[in-house]
Amino acid sequence: MKDLMRIKCLISQDIETLLNQQIKKEAHSSSLYLSMSSWCDQNGFDFSADYFAKQSEEERVHQLKLFKYVLDMGGNAVSPEVTGIKTEFAGFREVFEDALEAEIAITQSFKNIASRCHKEQDFVTMEFLNWFLKEQREEEYKARRALELFEVIGEEGTGRWEIDKHVNKITYSEQ
Amino acid sequence: MEKACVDINELINVFSNTQGSIYQSDKLNCFYVDFGGKFARYNCLSLQKLKKIVENIDVEALLLNTNRADFELVTFNGCEHIYLLSALEIVALKDLLHGTFTMFKLNHMVNDCLNRLVY
Ligand SMILES: [Fe+2]
Ligand SMILES: [Fe+2]
Repeated sequence: MKDLMRIKCLISQDIETLLNQQIKKEAHSSSLYLSMSSWCDQNGFDFSADYFAKQSEEERVHQLKLFKYVLDMGGNAVSPEVTGIKTEFAGFREVFEDALEAEIAITQSFKNIASRCHKEQDFVTMEFLNWFLKEQREEEYKARRALELFEVIGEEGTGRWEIDKHVNKITYSEQ
Repeated sequence: MEKACVDINELINVFSNTQGSIYQSDKLNCFYVDFGGKFARYNCLSLQKLKKIVENIDVEALLLNTNRADFELVTFNGCEHIYLLSALEIVALKDLLHGTFTMFKLNHMVNDCLNRLVY
């Protein structure tokens, strides 16, 4: 008997489902960052608004990267419905706390997919995931560094203004 | 498509239970689901969709809900077939599809061992 399902598609249905869930998570991240950008802009934090707008675009790129992979492997990529995006934040600091929390959740999610790949011995998807695992290093680093500015600079006086100016300058280099 | 239209000998019985059968055609690269008085043709994608939809039906909720009949309409976007199934039939269809996909997995392993990994 022909192995029809395998002939049609390189990845298993379980992996396909996980990747579609990840597509939704990246879409959610993108919307969340845009929401953060809006909040920052309205509260006078121009540099942070730019920073989050850029992050939002990056998440969209991540989403499309996953989307293309699922389709290229012969799977069914699902355009996600994104709801329940937080629009109100208690303060400037909370925005950055939420951002780091969101990145940690994404890292965890990728670890989960990677563990499934190992279980199935799907080394093809594993190799594809490596890019994202590496990307999460940078994503978490930047979010953590941004939050640390609140400790280093402090929020008193012109602190928040100072923090806002520095957020955009955070860069990550492996060396 | 009616049963008579397909030469039954060309079909491979993937899995059967008391309520129905699922066949595969290696010639046409498609599947036939013999269930609920229907003999319906599916391709890979639509069979996967059918499985997902049937898997997601909560039979317990269906039985416990007194505001509605214990029947469920099963179809999906792009599917040419509609099933009106009782709770018992849904359980049988779940079993049929589960068994079929387990056989697919087994067949995949056999193919790997006998054909793909030999040199
Ligand atoms: Fe991302
Ligand atoms: Fe991210």
